[in-house]
Amino acid sequence: MADPTPRSASDAYLEVDQVWKAYGAGGEPVVRDASFALAQGQFMTLLGPSGSGKTTILMMVAGFERPTEGRIFARGRDITTLPPHQRAFGIVFQGYALFPHMSVQDNVEFALRMRRVESHARRRRALDMLDKVGLAAFAHRRPRELSGGQQQRVALARALAFEPDLLLLDEPLGALDKKMRETLQNEIKDIQRKTGVSVLFVTHDQAEAMMMSDVIAVMEDGRIAQIDTPEQLYNHPVDRFVATFLGETNLLPCEVQGADGDLVRVRMAAGVICSARSGKAPRSGASAATMSLRPEAVKLLAADETADNVVEAEVLDRVFLGQQIRYTLRALGQSVVSVGAPTTAMGGHPGKGSRIRIGWSRDAGELLGPDAGQRP
Amino acid sequence: MALSSSGPGAWRRPSGASLLLIGACPLQVFLLAPTLIVTPMALTKSNIIEFPPVWISVHAFSDYLRDPEWMADTLVSLKIAVLATTVACFVGASTALALHALRGPVRGAISSFVMLPMMAPVIVLALGDYLALSKVGLVGAWPMIGLAHSLMGVPYVVLSVQTSLSGLNPALVRSARSLGARDLAVLLHVYWPAIRPGLLAGAVFAFYGSFDEVILSLFLQGPGVTTLPVQMFTSIQYELTPKIAAVSSLLVLLAAVTLVGQGLLRLTASRAKPLAAP
Repeated sequence: MADPTPRSASDAYLEVDQVWKAYGAGGEPVVRDASFALAQGQFMTLLGPSGSGKTTILMMVAGFERPTEGRIFARGRDITTLPPHQRAFGIVFQGYALFPHMSVQDNVEFALRMRRVESHARRRRALDMLDKVGLAAFAHRRPRELSGGQQQRVALARALAFEPDLLLLDEPLGALDKKMRETLQNEIKDIQRKTGVSVLFVTHDQAEAMMMSDVIAVMEDGRIAQIDTPEQLYNHPVDRFVATFLGETNLLPCEVQGADGDLVRVRMAAGVICSARSGKAPRSGASAATMSLRPEAVKLLAADETADNVVEAEVLDRVFLGQQIRYTLRALGQSVVSVGAPTTAMGGHPGKGSRIRIGWSRDAGELLGPDAGQRP
Repeated sequence: MALSSSGPGAWRRPSGASLLLIGACPLQVFLLAPTLIVTPMALTKSNIIEFPPVWISVHAFSDYLRDPEWMADTLVSLKIAVLATTVACFVGASTALALHALRGPVRGAISSFVMLPMMAPVIVLALGDYLALSKVGLVGAWPMIGLAHSLMGVPYVVLSVQTSLSGLNPALVRSARSLGARDLAVLLHVYWPAIRPGLLAGAVFAFYGSFDEVILSLFLQGPGVTTLPVQMFTSIQYELTPKIAAVSSLLVLLAAVTLVGQGLLRLTASRAKPLAAP
């Protein structure tokens, strides 16, 4: 098994290679065949519901857990069995985990102290880090005297003080209120841009993941369902889980009829023929599929308007949300949600019970691949 | 946390308070009050111990302090207690730390084994130790009494250090490791500050347990190696001088001072805690 030569030739800083993790002999695996690469300076998020294995992956990268199978490389070097204190990754934990008996400054200095940095230099470095997170004035306080947001900033400063190449963040904003979360999201992004550190971030909050990440790995049941940029994930989800976990979507059953240029022709309920992007679904004829159609792609049509795909609908409910209006409709024998800006909603804001036409463009719908459980 | 009991809801629970009043109070008063009676009895002018005392003289105290035999016994007791406390703290703290890292049935088995000296009949233990040590000629050596006492102190230290450890955030250990700390540094910077209060409390228990102990000390004593409680116990059988009352009241005073000190320590610790809510 041991392979002394550096394996990875790619420019990836961190590489997780076919990693499995199960607790106990014959235990159900909590991480299944996870593989991904993180480039230098990249911000990558492991996104998934609780119990999807994202924190376990992070802990294996950190060195606190050992993979049952598979290997982990940093800069091409196998670190699978390297103890955590030799990995030199900065880690920010869910509950901050600041040393309660030390001052804020001593907390930030800790990693430098462990590296026997001379006291004058480490003092200067710690104050510099605290300045970066706006807490230089709190250097002599104890962690318990700070608010949650401030403690999290200290944890961030502490993890970055020894200039690690990789920062691991385990749901660092979970315990904070919405406003503080948003402030810190921006700050973390900001610090990451300034320092150029690579980041592996764990969260269950899809909005947070979209806002911060260059790349998101969506996790389901121990498996990485899809790795892509936020935009790609949103527009081209591979399956039902990814489509519904990132934002809202309408799932419409259909049957693939055949290719239609770059697109495919599908037969929807009640015999309606539409076109859609084939996505990961097979393009061959007569196979059942599911189409994902984002609510904002569904337009309410005025009497003189038309669209590539048009179907009849009835308005079941209308909710005014300020920036947008949200319609719950009945179309194609199921419930369909449409979201649009109030001013652009055509047909003079049809009320409950009105019969209207809705439409969407040729390439708005995306056929989804089979669910994880049915994949080979 | 420390202030919550002084809230307006504190007195509105009559059931617990009245139970305390009719149940625990008489017992406490009836059995604890005699410890306070020894002090006035020590202040008697008379040369025999009696109640009510003939007030007022401190000759019993100066008799004790001037008696070379009693002072030697006091010194032996102190040496034994210091040794017992040191050993109990070291063994107890390492046991608690080791148990903290363990999970499952092994942990349960070791915990119960460590707690055995608390349950075991002391008289049997004393007899066993006496028989074993007399074989190798170690009866009458004060370090052996100290070691025997440390055995009794270990469960207290283990329990109180375990309590401290249960409040330790496991992420602290991980964050220390991630910041580059090796085992020794983790012990020094994470575990040591966490167990310190528990260790201190356990040490106080171990010290008093030893200083106060009679049965083991009685069995394992030898010429020139008699502890203060044993001296008190044996002398009460033939001399009824107020000296015993004087020593007793000094012991009570020492215990009271320690209790107050511990209380103050806990108060300052809890006051320092909740300055900012998370």
